[in-house]
Amino acid sequence: MSTIPKSGINAKIPLLPERASITRVIQETPAVRTYRLVFDDPGMMAAFSFEPGQIGQMSILGAGESTFAISSPPSQKDYIQFSVMKTGVVTTAIHELSAGDRVAVRAPMGRPFPVNAWKGKDIVIAGGGIGMAPLRSLLMHLLDHRGDFGRIQAVYGARTPADLCFAGDREEWERRDDIEFIATVDSGHPDWSGSVGVVPGVLESMSPPPANAVAVTCGPPVMIKYTLESLEKLGFAADQVFTTLERRMKCGVGLCGRCNVGAKYVCTDGPVFSLRDLRALPDEL
Amino acid sequence: MSMNDLIPAIKKVLEEVDVVLGWTRSPAAGVAVPARFHTPDEADGAIFDSTCIHNLAVHLPRLKNSKVGIVAKGCDARSIVQLIVEGEVSRDRIRVIGVPCPGVIDVKRAWRCYGFGKKIEDAGGRVHMEGRSVPREEILLHKCHQCRDQEPVIVDLAAGDVTSMTPPPPPDKSGIRERFAAMSITERREFWREQFSRCIRCYACREACPLCFCRDVCSMQTREPHWTGGQVNAIESEMAQQVRISHMAGRCTGCEECERACPVGIPLMLLLEEQNKIIEELFAYRAGASLEDKPPLLTYDINRDGGWR
Amino acid sequence: MRFIAEDAIPRLLEHLAGGGRTVWAPRVVRDSVNTVLFAPWSAGEPVETGAYTHLSAKAALLPPTERLFGFGYLQAAGEERIELEPEEPEESPVLFGARVCDARALAALDALFFPASGGFNDPGYAGRRSGLTVITLACTTCDSACFCSSFGKGPAETDGSDLILYPVANGFLAEPVTDAGSELVRLDLFQDSRLEKPELAVTARVETAGLREKFIDLFSDIDLWRQVSEKCLSCGFCAYACPACHCFNIFDEMSGDREGERCRSWDSCMFYSYTLETSGHNPRPEIAHRYRNRIGHKFSYFPANRGEILCTGCGRCIRGCPAGVDIREVIRTVQER
Repeated sequence: MSTIPKSGINAKIPLLPERASITRVIQETPAVRTYRLVFDDPGMMAAFSFEPGQIGQMSILGAGESTFAISSPPSQKDYIQFSVMKTGVVTTAIHELSAGDRVAVRAPMGRPFPVNAWKGKDIVIAGGGIGMAPLRSLLMHLLDHRGDFGRIQAVYGARTPADLCFAGDREEWERRDDIEFIATVDSGHPDWSGSVGVVPGVLESMSPPPANAVAVTCGPPVMIKYTLESLEKLGFAADQVFTTLERRMKCGVGLCGRCNVGAKYVCTDGPVFSLRDLRALPDEL
Repeated sequence: MSMNDLIPAIKKVLEEVDVVLGWTRSPAAGVAVPARFHTPDEADGAIFDSTCIHNLAVHLPRLKNSKVGIVAKGCDARSIVQLIVEGEVSRDRIRVIGVPCPGVIDVKRAWRCYGFGKKIEDAGGRVHMEGRSVPREEILLHKCHQCRDQEPVIVDLAAGDVTSMTPPPPPDKSGIRERFAAMSITERREFWREQFSRCIRCYACREACPLCFCRDVCSMQTREPHWTGGQVNAIESEMAQQVRISHMAGRCTGCEECERACPVGIPLMLLLEEQNKIIEELFAYRAGASLEDKPPLLTYDINRDGGWR
Repeated sequence: MRFIAEDAIPRLLEHLAGGGRTVWAPRVVRDSVNTVLFAPWSAGEPVETGAYTHLSAKAALLPPTERLFGFGYLQAAGEERIELEPEEPEESPVLFGARVCDARALAALDALFFPASGGFNDPGYAGRRSGLTVITLACTTCDSACFCSSFGKGPAETDGSDLILYPVANGFLAEPVTDAGSELVRLDLFQDSRLEKPELAVTARVETAGLREKFIDLFSDIDLWRQVSEKCLSCGFCAYACPACHCFNIFDEMSGDREGERCRSWDSCMFYSYTLETSGHNPRPEIAHRYRNRIGHKFSYFPANRGEILCTGCGRCIRGCPAGVDIREVIRTVQER
């Protein structure tokens, strides 16, 4: 696995966040909004670097802090982006925010996708719902370095067309001919002319060849479960399959205790795990 | 009572339940510890003595999917009754084995005063602890003095004669209760500030309480609602406790488990006893005293009594 | 060896407190059913050198609640901005009357919170730890909950201490472990003595050999974990009393509309809410799952990650458990599987 980049606040006092401001809010779906943030300290913004798959903590001071995957790509130097689903106290408070509002951020954290080890390989991506956030970062990174990778096949699913995030990106991925991209929904809509079907089914119909390939999946637990079965059916071995885990987190630096699965901490040993690594962990997901 | 009554009673009840909650002797500490008996063989390890201090009713709401037998002192039975009255426990799925209780020893106090783990013998009106000996009434739990509940309110099977106990004598009048009663309001404020300054918010009080069934969503800990700050300090810790205690109004049976569980010795019962006294005076209600009585705070009817004004 | 008379202890504490440092010492708390706690000491207060404290000494280094920083929302030139005020590190205290089991737990805490020992940069902990003086009371007796003989040198362990005091008639023999300890015994309060060091206690033992792997083998045996945790009420006492448990929560509290503080507080893996996710999913929904994590963290995960068992055998979790759970019985049950 690659080493954790020590940029941003991780190199200083890990529990002390950096001040940041929201520059743009994008309403992705009724429940998901994307927030573009800029560190108030221009030096911090310029020095900020991360790799796809890493996570960050976004705070509304007073409401608290929550963990999100970074959904922007490393090449995006003007802002850092989190896509936030409204579920609990903090995310509800975040959904009240608009451009110009002040927040605090601790990032990046965790182990990224080992993209450097994937050079020369075919890449298969299967995302569902808000689980597409880290995969958006990954996919954009792959496209930024398109020549380094082989065939790229991606499927992104949600319950209904209205639940699909990243509309602008999807249009571009559908348009480009150096990536095979399918957006799919569990149940269609009169205005929806795209694929109808669950992610694992669409994935199987794309029949990605497993030879010299890796597959990356992230989404709701039930989608992951069936996607892993499909990948196995397609011939992908456990060390060719990667996913990112979600657990309740507080400190983000492997200390506060709650995100461990056995001896591994999702915040520092993850969130990216290969299926082989996952299977070596105690069953406590 | 002897184990000759208890063990057969547990075995009998095991014929119709999945598990019986009782006590066994701790090999390390020598006193009673809670135990679960699933088989007649396991039941051979059952004991009842005056170190059976725990209120096992706390486990009933956590065993919602089982038929459960429970060995109960008179005071424990009140907690069971209150759980039934509040609809937390179904009468059909529990079997109560009543035990005649001569009052239980405040093991925590005994060990904190005379040394942890000292072997405790209760004989001849005195409690002996490896060479030391104190009159029984000096080391009983406070609730046991002048106990009004020696005969359990509900009993499916009695292990021994539960109707003929003599209440233990009144407590020593030089204790914390008398000093507290004599304090001015300002002194009481100071007293509680000091007491709660050492609360560590471990929530043992809540977890040991049979009636605190909100547990996992308790306002002491949750941020929805965010009624108390999470800081461990005298102000927030007291506020959290006061909210819990208010929620116990008309529900607390005075079992003293919260105070017994408190690792830093905060005399929580001073607050609960006062509240229980007020509830009894205002509503002539004692929580868990009868299956028929309705808890005062459950009698409010928005259609009849109107909304907030 | 050097000797200090029992009645000279208050003068030693006064000396230690001299530069304005906080001296933590075991004290019997008023109106508390004889609760003995480490607490900041002030001149004239009695110190309890005989009994064991009911909570460990860790509060001197990891307070139950610690303010990480204050924050405020400020309006300036029609614009809102945030002010962050990191907490100034406190000066390091003196810990008087720790036991060997308290002192040796410092190594585990250091490995996590103290950069000099490979921990992350935690200014609060580092501030308190960097000049910490630990004066340990050696145990010539023990009670039935003690089991420190299970680990390393047991009651003879010197790790974490600067100075060890051995109880003898009318006072203590003083053995320095570090330079700070050597400096202390040069004080006039100490005299030379020909007394022999007393015999140390021998406690109960548990076998921890092989437990790290055994735990992993038995991880999925949920019936075992249900059985060993059946008494447990799922409170946080054991974690809070433990000298080595260190898990924490982070949260914000406002005071008014415009300012507040971010705090770190003790937390326990025995709480349901500890791992509860906002979706409602909880990876450790049952007490059995949580108790398994407690045992796993102490005897398997921490040893795997840091090479040390996260238990010093102090017995506090046993003495104070309201439900009578005895971690030694759990270890024995697991080992016998």
